Formats: sequence, C-alpha cells, structure tokens
Amino acid sequence: MTHPKLHALALAALTLCAASGAFAQSEQLVAAAKAEGQLTVIALARSWCGYGPMIDAFKAKYGIKVNELNPDAGSGDEIEAIKANKDNKGPQAPDTIDVGLSFGPAAKAAGLIQPYKVSTWSTIPESAKDAEGFWYGDYYGVLAFQVNADMVKAPTDWSDLQKPEYKNAVALAGDPRASNQAIQGVYAAGLSSAGGDASKASAAGLKFFADLNKAGNFVPVIGKAASLAQGTTPVIISWDYNALADRDSLKGNPKVEVVVPKSGVVAGVYVQAISAYAPHPNAAKLWMEYLYSDEGQQALLNGYCHPIRFGDLIARNKFSKASLDKLPPAAGYAKAAFPTLDQQNAAKEVITKQWDAVVGATVK
Amino acid sequence: MQGKTLDLSLLGVVPFLAFALLFMLLPTAYLMLGAFQDAQGAFTLANVAGLFEPAVLEAYAISFKISLASTAIAGVLGFALAWATVLGRLPGWIRPTITTFSGVASNFAGVPLAFAFLATLGRMGLVTLLLRNCCGINIYATGFSILSFFGLTLSYLYFQIPLMLLIITPALDGLKTEWREACACLGGSSLQYWRLIAIPVLAPSLLGALLLLFANAFGAVATAYALTGSSLNIVPILLYAQIRGDVLHNPNLGYAMALGMIVITGLANAGYMLLRSRADRRLR
Amino acid sequence: MSAARPAARPPQGVRASRWGAWLALALGSSYFLLPLLATFEFSLRMQRGVYSFEAYRIVLSDPLFQSTFSYSIVMALLTIVVGALLVVPTAYWVHLRLPRLRPLVEFITLLPLVIPAIVIVYGYLRMYNSSALIPLTGSATATDFLLMCSYVTLSLPYMYRAVDTGLRSIDVRTLTEAAEVLGASRYVILRSVIFPNIRAAILSGAFLTFAVVLGEFTMASLLDRPSFGPYLQLVGANRAYEPSALAVIAFLATWASMGLIQLFGRSAHTRPGPT
Repeated sequence: MTHPKLHALALAALTLCAASGAFAQSEQLVAAAKAEGQLTVIALARSWCGYGPMIDAFKAKYGIKVNELNPDAGSGDEIEAIKANKDNKGPQAPDTIDVGLSFGPAAKAAGLIQPYKVSTWSTIPESAKDAEGFWYGDYYGVLAFQVNADMVKAPTDWSDLQKPEYKNAVALAGDPRASNQAIQGVYAAGLSSAGGDASKASAAGLKFFADLNKAGNFVPVIGKAASLAQGTTPVIISWDYNALADRDSLKGNPKVEVVVPKSGVVAGVYVQAISAYAPHPNAAKLWMEYLYSDEGQQALLNGYCHPIRFGDLIARNKFSKASLDKLPPAAGYAKAAFPTLDQQNAAKEVITKQWDAVVGATVK
Repeated sequence: MQGKTLDLSLLGVVPFLAFALLFMLLPTAYLMLGAFQDAQGAFTLANVAGLFEPAVLEAYAISFKISLASTAIAGVLGFALAWATVLGRLPGWIRPTITTFSGVASNFAGVPLAFAFLATLGRMGLVTLLLRNCCGINIYATGFSILSFFGLTLSYLYFQIPLMLLIITPALDGLKTEWREACACLGGSSLQYWRLIAIPVLAPSLLGALLLLFANAFGAVATAYALTGSSLNIVPILLYAQIRGDVLHNPNLGYAMALGMIVITGLANAGYMLLRSRADRRLR
Repeated sequence: MSAARPAARPPQGVRASRWGAWLALALGSSYFLLPLLATFEFSLRMQRGVYSFEAYRIVLSDPLFQSTFSYSIVMALLTIVVGALLVVPTAYWVHLRLPRLRPLVEFITLLPLVIPAIVIVYGYLRMYNSSALIPLTGSATATDFLLMCSYVTLSLPYMYRAVDTGLRSIDVRTLTEAAEVLGASRYVILRSVIFPNIRAAILSGAFLTFAVVLGEFTMASLLDRPSFGPYLQLVGANRAYEPSALAVIAFLATWASMGLIQLFGRSAHTRPGPT
C-alpha cells in the first residue's frame, strides 16, 4: 500500500528468481543425468500406456540409454528386483519402479525407495501421493469390457454379462489370486451388483463370478489380445488403456469395441518411485520430471491412460483434441470410484482367499 | 591306501560339484533360509505351517496328480514312438527328423503351447470346428473341455513325449540285435523277448527317464498358467503369486512352497534310487 | 547300420512290427502337427477376410529378430559345449568309480527343474553383483558368462539324464579296461572311447539344451541381455497374430538349427559306432 510499485517489483523479482531457480535446477539435473548416461527401468511393457513411444522420446530428447528389464514383471517382481540388486551398480539394477497403489507404502516401509518431488508436484492430487514424496501416482484407468464385436454384441453393464448370449464368453485379464487387474475386476463387478456399496463389493463380486461360472459364461483363461481374436475369450474385463491398445493393434481384425460399464466403474492408480539403491539417481529423477511434465502427461494420454494431472491440464486446455477424442466418452469416467488403500487391502484379502472356494472353477 | 584312492576318485566330481555350488546351490541358499524367515528376517516356522493350509495342500495334490498322469502317459507313448523310430525298420531319414523335431517340441511350452491347443481344441478351435462342420460331431457336447485337468494333461504331453523319446532312444540303441536273434533261436516269442530281456535291460534307463519327466512336469508352470490360469491350483502358480504377484507378495511363503517342491522331488528321487538299485541288481 | 545282411523277405513278426511302427508314427505326427497347423492357420488371418503372410512379413522384417536369434544361437552352442564338457566326465566318473555318489549327483541335476528360474537369477544378482567378490555384472562379456552359466544350470537335468542313459547302454567298464590295457590315459579314454560311443546321447542332450536356451526368458531379461526369449515376449505380449507367426518361424528355425547340429555330429567323427 505504501509502496505499491516496489511491492509489485519485489513480487516480480521473486517469481523470476523462483522460475529461474527451477529452470537452473532442471538444467543441472539434465547435465547430471547425461553424465550418468543410462537409465534402467523395469516392468514397462511397451504397449502399456504407450510406454514404448515415451521411452523412445526420452532417449531421443536427452540421449540417455534406457535398459528395459523384464517388461512382463508384476509389482512383486519389481520389489524383489530392488532387493536383489542392492549392491549391484550394473545395468540389472532398476532405477525406477511403476507399481500398484498398495505397493507404494509397502516399499517405503521396507526402505526400498527414496523421496523426490517433481517440479509439478503441487498439481498431483493429495490422495494419489505420499506426503513426504516417496511415491506418487502417475496415471489411472478404469475397468472396461473389451469385446470381439464380430462374435458377440457389446454389453453395456455388468449385469448384461450374466445373459445367455454370453455363454463361454467372459474372461478376466489376469489371475484373481495374483493380479491387481483381475482383483479390481471382481471388485468392480461387485460394486455394480451391490449398488455402489464399497463395503459389500468384494463379497458381491465373488458371488457375481460364482453365478457367471454356474451359468457357463465364465471362461477361466487369462484373456489376451490373441485369445480375443481367436475366439476363446470374446469378452475380456481389463483396464481401458489395455483394451484400447489391443483394439489398435488388432486393426479391425476382429472388430473390437471398448465399453466402460454404466455402473461399477472402478479406477486403479499406479504409482512411480525411485529406488533407494538406484545406480543412476539423476537419470531416474529426470525420467520422473519427464513423466510429470505436460509433454509426458500428454504421452500417457496418447497411450489411453488418464494421467494423474488430468484435472489440472484439462482445465488449462493442454491436451490435444485428437487424443481426447480417441478416448471413450468422458461421461463414463465421471462416476469412477477410486478405492482407497484400505478398501483395496480389504478387497485383496477377501477375493484372493475365497476365489477358489466360491467361484469353484477349480478344475478337476 | 583305500583312503588315498577314494580321495583321488572324489576329485573327478569336484568340477561338477563346484559348478553346482557356485551357480545353483549357493545362489538359492538364501531361498532355503528365506523359507524359515518372516518379512523382517526373524526365524519363524509360520511359512512351513502355511504349507499345510487346505488351498496349498490341494495345490500340491493337483501338481502331483498332473505330473504323475503326464509322466505315465508320456512314458508309454514316448517309448512306443522311440521304439518305432529305432527298431521299427523305418527309412533312414525318419530317425534324425523325429529326434530333431522332438528337440524343438520338448521346449515348446508356455503361452505358445497353450495358445496352440486353444486354437486346435478350444471351442473355436480348428479341429473342433472341422469336426462339427464336416461330420456333425460336437466334442464339447460329450463333456470334453480343453480347459480341464484332461486338457492340461493333453497339452503337457506335447513336451513330455519328446523328452521321453530323446532320453530313451540311446538306450534302445544299446539293445543288441544278437539278443533278439538268440531269443528267437531258443524259441522265444516277441512278448517273451520284451518281458524277459528288453525291459529288464532298459529298466534303469526307463526309471531315470520317468523321474526326469516327473520333475519336469512338476516344475512346469507357464503352460498351466496360460491355459487354465485362474482356475487350476498348482503349486508353481501359487508360488509365483507370492513371489511375483501384484497382490499377495509374501515371498517367504513362496520360498517355503519351493522348498516343499524340492522335498517332494527328493522323495521321488529316493523312490527312483530304490527301484533302480533293484533293477541293476537283477541285471547282474 | 551293422554288417550288411542278405535281402531276404523279413518274417511275419517283423513285417507286423513295421506296420506297427508306421501306425505309431502316423498317430504321433498328427498329435504333434495339428496344434502347429492350427497356430499357422491363425497366423495367416492377420488381414481381415483373407489368408496372407502379413504377420510373417512384419516379423521377418524386424532387425531385432535376427540379432536376438543369432545371439541366442551362439549362447546355445556355448552352453552345449560347456555342458557336455562338464557332464560327460562327471557322469563317466560316477558310473565307473563313485556309484555311491550317484543319488546325490542325480538329485542335484534335478533341482533346476523345480527351483524357479527367477529365484536363481535373484541369487546370482546377490552373489555376483558389481560390489561382490566375483563381480560378474559389470561388463557385457562378464554378464554373458554369467548368463551362459545359468543356461548350463538350466539344461543340466536334460544333459545329465541323456548322457547317463547313453553310458548305461554301453559297457563302460570293459571299454575302459581295454583302453587302459592299451595304455591310454584318462583323457584319451574320454576323448577317443567314451565321447564317440555316446554320441547319440550327447546329441539328444544337445538338442534339449538348444531348445531350452533359445526359449529362455527370465534369466536373459533380468540380466539385461539381448537374447531371443525377451524378444519373443516383446512381440507376443499384446499382439494377436504376430506371436503365432513368430512361434511358427521360431519352431522352424530351431528345427533347422538342430538339423545342422545333427549333420555336424554325424560327420564330426569317422569311426562307425551304434547308429
């Protein structure tokens, strides 16, 4: 009030300082990362969320070699890999991990990851990150139906799957005793039949699949693009981004429809973290900066994954219209439920223990 | 003197034992230890106790059953094919073709094998559709399903039979034609030849081959996972769920399961040793 | 084949056995070829509505296919040589002098079948990492060596069983004694007497080893080596038609390679042995 001009000048100077500070820091980071020369990632399948093009773009932009370990790895594998490589500085030691939500706190408790807050930290929703910066959600997707439209009509909701026209047709994309995708699938089915009541979802989900199995609609094969095209599993319950990626790779042969169910829309968040024993910590940090930059988040969207900064970027109109159009209608995502850690753990307990007994698909 | 000879003899196996120690036993030693530890590293028998839960016991039972079934069937069929190849007086190009094919087929397992069987005998499989369209036979109407214990065994045979064939063929080479002729001279029939001469001579090799087949099937996981993944409970699948999975992640329990598998293999090996020493004695 | 025989008409029993052999072969062939046929048929369906070799074109034009396949072939050949050199003397020795050690040795050779490969490779990373006594993960060559050792471990069951069966079918004791009487040293006995006589058995073991190495995925992937297994996984992960085409191509290429090994094994020695 007394010196408005000075006040404004000070503010401007401060902002400039902060911006250039961040800018200088990232230049330092880039130099340090380039000095390290390589980055080792694990469990990043090239077709998952468009990781392939992302890794290639990162390589081209910074000239850093990327070692892609075991793209088939599950979250448990990644944790074991960090543990096994504690003393290893070679290219077999993962620098970063991409794991399911529940593995973030577990890895932190085991002292396997180190904290790092990316420059866009403030735009990541609170519920999807660790307050101290050890792990941070990067993207999410919802469970959808992947349908071989040449063989069956696309269902619109979970209850449709019980109909006789889906005999020998419905499969999960994983083993409900071991795969996050499959467990969330059972949970989502339950959420739909329990009318949105999360506490009853697991039990209802098990019952849903028991009925599905009794009606002869459930196929106990792990659904993949090949089994979808060949006809063994015409309907697969999988993450929308996987379903859309499969649809693209099949190129209309057969025709694939991806449908987000009307009820029981469950979203799954995957988190990133840097290994506490990373041989190339600066390259790892640069990779994180890349993933959480506008460019990286757009790349995730190109791979059909909803980036975690979706809300922020959509408000600022930062996404390309073409990429938004390729996604299923946004209305389907509006009702997405994000299970909390506690809900996920409870669901895991119930579903993994009781799957064999309740669904009774134990083959004789 | 005796002591000295024994010492030098033992030197002969030192390279093998050293290799086994460095590249198999020591690296997996912590697995043995891990089976008796909990997540924090303290000693516990909880994991071993976990092996006796009904789900795990049932998994062991099914693993055992499928290994036994595929070994028995592959043993017989593999032997028959080996006999045909070596002693069937077939054209000379047959044997190398069959043995090289068996080499490839012996490792054709996992996702490609499961997919191949789904593409052949699945509900939309080539053979299924062919039988339905040309001869009106619907094999699924008879209660058959490739996604069953029987179907899984059928697919296991794809790598078990070639393994049997490759292992037993050199043994069949050792059956001298003179023995057959001598038997015929003495008025013995084909059946007597096989029962009294050939089988006893081959017995130790047969037993060894069967033991290998059993262990091979017991440890196989990729095919079962790809074919009957979420419904069939075999130990390696449970093991992987604990060590690798997205969800359960109690690696110590996984190690305990692996230890259980090693114990069962050891028992099978002991049984084989017993039978083989008897067979060896009969030959003397 | 042994000494030439006059071409007399084979007796009834033998003709019947030849019929039986052809029947067994026919049934066996249909069981083994039908699934391959089904895979092949599926791989031709890449283009909607027509049969085409599109999937094959895509797979074969990928430079990664050739580089990973050649890498794996070289590793496989190395594994076979090292494996044979490790197993044959050991099996011979156990057979001849240490029969009481046989249960232990056989049990050890069975272990790689039941210990998950992923546990073994994590063990390697703990024991041979860059900060350990024997750092084997630092350079590409050292890691290649470690990978080869892991392959030898994985193929141990098959190689040992094949060689053991082969040794059983020849009279090791008599041959050794005869050679010793003629003044041969241990090394000469192994090289000139034992190895040639169990050639068929070693070949069996070699085929099994070759197939194992070519398809192996876990070790190569976690040790970060560019072998064929991880490449198969890369292509097969989320595609439909290319993996089937790749399976057929890999099958045929592996079969051809084994054919070459067979030819080499045949011509590499001149002394006639049991065929």
